[in-house]
Amino acid sequence: MIRVRPVYFSMKIISKLKASIGCIIATLGVSCTSTTVDEFRQGATSIEGDESVVILGRRQASDFETKSDFVECVGERMGEGENAISVIPEREFIDAMFPWFEPRTAPLRAGDLEQLLAEDVVAQKMNEFGIKYMVWVEGFTETTGRTGSISCTVGPGGGGCFGFGTWEDDANFDARVWDVTSLKNVGTINTDATGQSYLPALVVPIPLIARVETNACNRLAAQLKDFVNGE
Amino acid sequence: MRLKIKTQFLWSKVLALLLVASLMGSCGVSNLVIEGSFPTPNINKIPLSMAIFYDDALREFSYMEYSETGREEINIESGESHIRLFNAVLPAMFEEVIEIEGMDDPIIQEVDAVFSPTIEEFQLALPEKTKLDVYEVWIKYNMRIVDRSGNSLADWVVTSYGKTPTATFLSVEDGINEAAIVALRDLASSFSLNFSQIPEVQDWLNTL
Repeated sequence: MIRVRPVYFSMKIISKLKASIGCIIATLGVSCTSTTVDEFRQGATSIEGDESVVILGRRQASDFETKSDFVECVGERMGEGENAISVIPEREFIDAMFPWFEPRTAPLRAGDLEQLLAEDVVAQKMNEFGIKYMVWVEGFTETTGRTGSISCTVGPGGGGCFGFGTWEDDANFDARVWDVTSLKNVGTINTDATGQSYLPALVVPIPLIARVETNACNRLAAQLKDFVNGE
Repeated sequence: MRLKIKTQFLWSKVLALLLVASLMGSCGVSNLVIEGSFPTPNINKIPLSMAIFYDDALREFSYMEYSETGREEINIESGESHIRLFNAVLPAMFEEVIEIEGMDDPIIQEVDAVFSPTIEEFQLALPEKTKLDVYEVWIKYNMRIVDRSGNSLADWVVTSYGKTPTATFLSVEDGINEAAIVALRDLASSFSLNFSQIPEVQDWLNTL
């Protein structure tokens, strides 16, 4: 008797787990993301093997700032796979160029680069890095339409949550590409990713998050890679 | 059965104790020492020999943030980080930099001027109060340069600003620290790039 009960119990758990996994997979299909990429080209582009690109986040706005994680993600994706591009990490570049690329001192227009490169120390560092294109990324992810509620209780015998929550995430990012040689803006790429996230809770909350920022990052990086390679 | 009830009772006591301890902990003042490193500026050096004097008010500078009910919430100590910042910036700005312990130090007679920064105001904005998704820090400084005899050569105000976005796993202390480091870097950039353009400094440099 004593040996049978644990087997029956674990069978019950397994069948519950199977049902839960089925539910999760079914819901995951719903919490998808849609991404739109727009490209506006203003000049011809190409890059050689010994040249590199730097991707920088804009941080001048008063109420938001471009997350460094997103900028890092775009840089990493551009440096991977076919036609990979050498990308200088943002922090390494900003520290090496200190204090010329801080939020208050960074150039706002491609034309401002001329004045900046007139400084010997800046021009020398830029040559050392071998930078052909400077990409300025600006944007943020906004969460809207939060609905539903979840209540959790904890007692001496255990605890649990019950309820349902949902919200929509919208990641909108612009990338402006500056040619460091011609000192001109050669193009702009806009990425907009939206997705609905769900948080059902039946004893344990199961977050089903729409990965809008990851999708925006992947699509923006792929488009930027093609853009810089002149495709 | 009796053993099970006893164990459950013990667990509930432990949980209650933990709850009380965490509530008591949340009532205290948290102390935050600003930590961070600063890169050396890439700028052309000014051919000057400058003495730097950090007074005790700067060395021991701290700011207390109060809750909306007037309770002491977070004590932010930023004196040491300011000294680390100036020690990274000034040697890149001037040909020679010497730190002095007081205005009566005899080494003053060997330098062109003495630089003495002070913090006039420190302000903090937390997301829970502003309802914005950023931590913000403002700092107002008074920069003073005096000659070997202690006469004022230049005296001007510099303000710096830093912000950092909120993130899922970022604690309040880490958010404030990051915003303060951005503000200190902002000070370094505006001070080092605008130093020669301050009218009083320009007038003084023209006399050398």
